[in-house]
Amino acid sequence: MKRSHIIAIVIIAVAIGALVGSLYDSSTYADLGQALSNPGKEYHVVGTLDRSQEIVYEPSMNASLTSFSMRDLQGRTCRVHLAKAKPQDLERSERLVLIGEANANGDFEARDMLMKCPSKYNEENKVEG
Amino acid sequence: MVEYIGEHLWAGQLGHALAIISLVGAGLGTLGFFLGTARNSIEWARLGRIGFRLHSVAVVGIVVTLFTMLFNHWFEYDYVWKHSNLQMPLKFIASCFWEGQEGSFLLWTFWHMVLGNVFIWRSRNGQALAPWESPVMTVISSVQVFLATMLLGIYVGDIRVGSSPFLLIRELPENIGLPWTGMANYLRAIPQFSDGRGLNPLLQNYWMVIHPPTLFLGFASTLIPFAFAIAGLWKGDKRGWIAPALPWTYFGIMILGTGILMGGAWAYEALSFGGFWAWDPVENASLVPWLTLVGAGHLMLVNKRKPTALFSLFLLTLITFILILYSTFLTRSGVLGDTSVHSFTGDGMLPGLLFFLLFFTTLSVMMLLNDRSDRRFFLLLSLVLLVIGIGFRIQVQAILLFGAICIGMLVNAYRNGFASKEPEESLWSREFWLFIGSLVLLLSAVQITFSTSVPVWNLLLEPLSPMFWWLADHTDLAFFRELADARMAPPSEAIQHYNKWQIPFAFIVTLLVAFTQYLRWKDSDLKRFRQQIGISLALSLVLAILGVYFLEYSLMEWQLVLLLFSAIFAIVANALYIPRVLKGRLKNAGASVAHVGFALVLLGALISTSRQNEVSRNTRNMDLRFLSDGFDNSEDILLYRGDTLRMGDHFVHYREKRQEGVNLFYEMDYFSVEPRHYSKGDTVRVGDMLFTALDAHQAGMYFLEDQPTHWDPMENFTRRDLWYASEWTSAKPGSRDFELAPFIQINPRFGNVAEPSTKHWLDRDLYTHVRYADMTMASDTADDSWMPDRLFEKHVGDTIITPSAMAIIDSVYMVKDSVTREMLGERYTVYAARLRVRDLYQRDRWFEAKPLVIYADGQPVMGKAAELESLRIRYSLATVQMDQPPVIGHSGPIPGSGGNTTIGLNIAESEFLVLQAIVFPGINILWIGCVLLFLGTGMAVSQRVAGRSASAGDQ
Repeated sequence: MKRSHIIAIVIIAVAIGALVGSLYDSSTYADLGQALSNPGKEYHVVGTLDRSQEIVYEPSMNASLTSFSMRDLQGRTCRVHLAKAKPQDLERSERLVLIGEANANGDFEARDMLMKCPSKYNEENKVEG
Repeated sequence: MVEYIGEHLWAGQLGHALAIISLVGAGLGTLGFFLGTARNSIEWARLGRIGFRLHSVAVVGIVVTLFTMLFNHWFEYDYVWKHSNLQMPLKFIASCFWEGQEGSFLLWTFWHMVLGNVFIWRSRNGQALAPWESPVMTVISSVQVFLATMLLGIYVGDIRVGSSPFLLIRELPENIGLPWTGMANYLRAIPQFSDGRGLNPLLQNYWMVIHPPTLFLGFASTLIPFAFAIAGLWKGDKRGWIAPALPWTYFGIMILGTGILMGGAWAYEALSFGGFWAWDPVENASLVPWLTLVGAGHLMLVNKRKPTALFSLFLLTLITFILILYSTFLTRSGVLGDTSVHSFTGDGMLPGLLFFLLFFTTLSVMMLLNDRSDRRFFLLLSLVLLVIGIGFRIQVQAILLFGAICIGMLVNAYRNGFASKEPEESLWSREFWLFIGSLVLLLSAVQITFSTSVPVWNLLLEPLSPMFWWLADHTDLAFFRELADARMAPPSEAIQHYNKWQIPFAFIVTLLVAFTQYLRWKDSDLKRFRQQIGISLALSLVLAILGVYFLEYSLMEWQLVLLLFSAIFAIVANALYIPRVLKGRLKNAGASVAHVGFALVLLGALISTSRQNEVSRNTRNMDLRFLSDGFDNSEDILLYRGDTLRMGDHFVHYREKRQEGVNLFYEMDYFSVEPRHYSKGDTVRVGDMLFTALDAHQAGMYFLEDQPTHWDPMENFTRRDLWYASEWTSAKPGSRDFELAPFIQINPRFGNVAEPSTKHWLDRDLYTHVRYADMTMASDTADDSWMPDRLFEKHVGDTIITPSAMAIIDSVYMVKDSVTREMLGERYTVYAARLRVRDLYQRDRWFEAKPLVIYADGQPVMGKAAELESLRIRYSLATVQMDQPPVIGHSGPIPGSGGNTTIGLNIAESEFLVLQAIVFPGINILWIGCVLLFLGTGMAVSQRVAGRSASAGDQ
């Protein structure tokens, strides 16, 4: 076997490994129903802040814990404990992506959160006449 | 027809006209240069030049027009209104220019245009480039056709082609027909038009003035090697293009690398995600083409000498530009959706960008095919797939099939046109290891691309889902079920995921960087090689061992240790290469300097991220009651105003809050740590016990270590003694060393943004930013030394628990003594609440608080709050509602004040903020590396431009 063949085989093997690895390490988008019925499994959950419920952040007790309610795209709501300081402008957010898992009490424990605020590209020109 | 007042219509009309001219010019350029190449005709090439020049003038005109609109604040234009405002400092006008989709495309177009003109100019003055002018310019012009189309913003039927920055707000589709668009004086009549929306605060930063142009110049410069490669294939000269393409390629490596690192510096200096690299899709999208371009650049060095791995060279060169297009597609089309915080949203650009990408992919694959009939067949097949995909709305299937055909065609191209029959190169030749290194870079790029593309995989996998369901049912593997579900999200632990793959790649690459230059072309004398590399290897081993020892790496982190070694090896070997092999001839040292820089970047990144220390973690040892298990670890420090706390190697003291323009600065003093000295007879409290010092001594790290020799427990003491005794501490704040003022930029429109403040030392940085803070400023009505009040509606006898204290409402009574009545008169009634307050951190401490409220005619008008300084809490009585009419003339507790009296009690805590602080050791290694990488690549470029084709190692 020629050296170039060995190299080619190694390259292809690593490339396939990288593909499978990236798919294998990927998380899953889910709604709250799916996340809550699989406590302990990590999901990405997309939704919006439930503004009817209180946002609790007590920094003097724990500066890295924020609790609030989220409504997923199916309309189901759930209490969320985010292991982060309360993000600036959480109240203004229009879309949240939680990364975490449901716990046994039926709450969602988020390790991290992506937040989209109404910003430059999605906020339309609202000029009224 | 309405005559609008105050509009500057000429600018928009000029802009639109110039956009069309730029498209026509680029088209003419493509046509002229194409026929100039195909027919080998100077006349056609001349037409091409005229076309490209026309295009260039138009692009400059567009840029000038847009700048003019931004400078003059013509807010009737959507782009100006959306991206700028009147308050903004002038220097950020440039940032406004490229903040939006259209502006950044314009910037990209602009750089292509500049590079194209430089190329034409150089090929007219240099024999070597002249034959390449027409074919290379054909490719550049055709790319400009696509980019010019993206800026058109016209409608063909229902489909909008591109997006123009010259649209008036009243011309936007969503505004057409609204009543105000009929008002002639709408610009004055409607207040929104008097000022624009302004720039995203994240971008109001000097880095944002220099980072995008650099990055886009880097993106643009990948086009030249791509165009050369296509030209080489087109003209059937598979190697002649390499020498003239080399300086352009290394210029691209230099600029793109600098742009990427500037992005990192921007993130580190101005963003608050705590680091310079986060493997965000947008960052990855710029890194990946750099990796492949570096691979291509090195293979060019090999193939310039003799054809070795020529196919890989073409693959890497072509794929670099394809990856730029793919990056643009990923970040601009909206496919990333929720996966990136700072990706752009769609704006209907998806079809255009996809077509752009597919067109140049098709071109690349087609040109790689060896004979004409194969090329025609592939082109025909692609066109059929395009028609079927669009016609039957099965785009995804068509793209999948197209991808498979491309791979097949590439295999065919390799076997028919590139597979070499020559004997393989020697194992100990420079070209062999350069080839391996380039492939590792390609693999690294492939891995990053795969993981960044997870949202794209979902789209591609959807049509295959039945197959995966079948596989899942037959194998019962959860993995297949996930594939079938096609709802994959990016890896949650992105940094770990990428590190897992990229650290081994980085290890191999740095190892190759270390020794490959010492090998000779064709074959090396191994004995001499060992002699030359031996000393570097020995020195690096010593340095690596010292590094492991001082940075406290454990063997569990063996991957990091290996990378530490290989990076040091690369630095030492390349640094020693200059005196030992080049004998100090610096003009040939570009490659060595760049390699040292590259390895320093990796070393700095390795040390600063793996040894970063979140000094704000767990400084307050509070028991985190009521919390679930996952949340016991606080990474942030809570700092009351006036408070001084130990944080890492310093004491941090939150002094004050200060407003300057739109920024709220939180000023913090840092004090050195000095050991505490106790003298004989001092009393300290530890927990519930008191101790007396036996002798004068300096406190050690832990009380338990000091206690047997220096402290005697006290037997009898009163509660009062315990109350007043101060707690034992090992250190105290010394001199004030420096101050840091992280700030929050107040921006009601885009949301407030916290920006870090960093203290730089030679060997480390202390990076701090505010995670959470109160943003009210002291004014006549507001006192900023307290956090906002929280109202509790309670009854007498109730208990209110707040983080630091528990208050029991003992009683509520009316204060009606003669003095009060005389002072206030009959109209006023004064109520008081008596609260018993327990310190929740030292549960034996009780306080009393008596807030008052004054009512006039049944309404509360004033109050007097009770502040408990040691608990950092303030109680104020807001309302009192009694179920019985107050008894006039009676002082003291209201009879029967049981559970039916409701009070509104406001509770506020002292003002505080939550701070994250991270120490990054050795981050300056990274920045020095950036500078050397830039300088070294620059040296290599100038060496090649100067025509010294003899590369550093050719002697």
